[in-house]
Amino acid sequence: MSGKGGSAPHPTTYSPSPQNQKRPKSLIFKDNVDWVRPDGRGFQHCRPAFLRTGAVNAASGSAYAEFGNTKVIVSVFGPRESKKAQMYSDIGRLNCNVSYTTFATPVRGQGADHKEFSSVLHKALEGAIILESFPKTTVDVFALVLESGGSDLPVVISCASLALADAGIRMYDLVTSVSVSCLGKNLVIDPIFEEENCQDGSLIIACMPSRNEVTQLTITGEWSTPKIHEAMQLCLDACAKLGMVMRSCLKETASSQE
Amino acid sequence: MVGLSLGEKHFIQGGIAQDLRSDARKRLTYRPIYVETGVIPQANGSAAVKMGATEVIASVKAELGKPTSLHPDKGKVAIFVDCSPTAAPAFEGRGGEELSAELSTSLQQCLLGGKSGAGAGIDLSSLSVVEGKICWDLYIDCLVVSTDGNLLDALGAAIKAALSNTGIPRVQVAAGATGDEQPEVDISDEEFLQFDTSGVPVIITLTQVGKHYIVDATAEEESQMSSAISVSVNRHGRICGMTKRGGAGLDPSVILDMISVAKFVSEQLIIKLDSEISAAEAREEE
Repeated sequence: MSGKGGSAPHPTTYSPSPQNQKRPKSLIFKDNVDWVRPDGRGFQHCRPAFLRTGAVNAASGSAYAEFGNTKVIVSVFGPRESKKAQMYSDIGRLNCNVSYTTFATPVRGQGADHKEFSSVLHKALEGAIILESFPKTTVDVFALVLESGGSDLPVVISCASLALADAGIRMYDLVTSVSVSCLGKNLVIDPIFEEENCQDGSLIIACMPSRNEVTQLTITGEWSTPKIHEAMQLCLDACAKLGMVMRSCLKETASSQE
Repeated sequence: MVGLSLGEKHFIQGGIAQDLRSDARKRLTYRPIYVETGVIPQANGSAAVKMGATEVIASVKAELGKPTSLHPDKGKVAIFVDCSPTAAPAFEGRGGEELSAELSTSLQQCLLGGKSGAGAGIDLSSLSVVEGKICWDLYIDCLVVSTDGNLLDALGAAIKAALSNTGIPRVQVAAGATGDEQPEVDISDEEFLQFDTSGVPVIITLTQVGKHYIVDATAEEESQMSSAISVSVNRHGRICGMTKRGGAGLDPSVILDMISVAKFVSEQLIIKLDSEISAAEAREEE
């Protein structure tokens, strides 16, 4: 989808390149301040983000996001009539679901234990959507993690808000989300799978950058207050930058449609 | 869940703004906490906690299991919450399941630390029996008996009380097992080791109503909340986990302010809870 291998002699076939198969076992030295991250990034460098809207034709709006190896597709359906069994509501409903493909994780089918992601996604988005604008109806947000490469939840949240914007759902602001891992003394932003697996703590922020409001915040592990402060600043900074990338992606789509 | 008239809503909001809540509490005052330990004889440890009309039970069961390959020197802890429909009709079917899943996830985040096991409130390395082969698996099951708001704090307190009530049987490992063989063990039914709970944090939920935030919100107050954050703080004033509920966004500076308030409240709560737990255990021994 990112247009890799476009110049191959047989564009209709695809064979996986051998170096993708072996995964170099990289060590993470927690107490060392000078270690290089497995993918060569600096501690405060996010992975390059690739974002596209309109990935699914049948949906009202959809988006595809690729942050390093993390690949996510989100489609938004609706607003459509709420199910008959549900009570009358003068504000709209938001229904979120996050699922993993069976091949998303190194061990097959391991993504099933991420049930709580759906409720976190719901909580991260509901504060940003103007639910009053579609009474009696439901908006469905379905996210599918195609490949889990670390920081899945932040990518899902950012991608979902992009898909909502693509669907023309009225929002106060885009929701962007970034996570930070605490490894020993170091804070690393946008951790990859290997880093997440040995982290001492994590902090995930979802925020509306132009309103400077945090819609969701999750912390695990032991933190001191100054460290939380530092990590939050780091995340909010990255969120603001990601917001600009997302905005330019939306503008690009809009201008290409004209 | 709670049907309130407009007048009642204004009364609650106005009271909170004036630092005098419907039950005469101040914004940062908890309801009286009542702890009873050893309520479930079949479990290794158990406790019931009452905070006003909120009542929860936590039980700890220990079973021998195999440690994961990632952490061969650590035991495993699983936390489950069950919201019985006997507590509230809203807990029937999917509503209860969702709340149960949300509460268990929040408790795991608040008590079990990061993926590497660092910063965990429950000391997992003390659960190891034979490195890489045998460890204790703790199953913490919580039941919501009746609900009047602030479930997460009550569950956190119940787990802390249940763990301090937990005795883990002493295990004799038969010598002579070599290599990949699974060593034979003898579980003593007389000697129990007290579980160390000094590092277990307390959970403080700050509920934002209007411009102010309150601790230990009742169900009526919770229905008026715009957002709430739950912070778990240990004895040393370190943050061990945090989750946010409610849709409304919060300014980052407000969150930092809430964290410092939670730290301040936690000191009193830890002292209060410790004395309640020791009083409950003294009662049990009588």
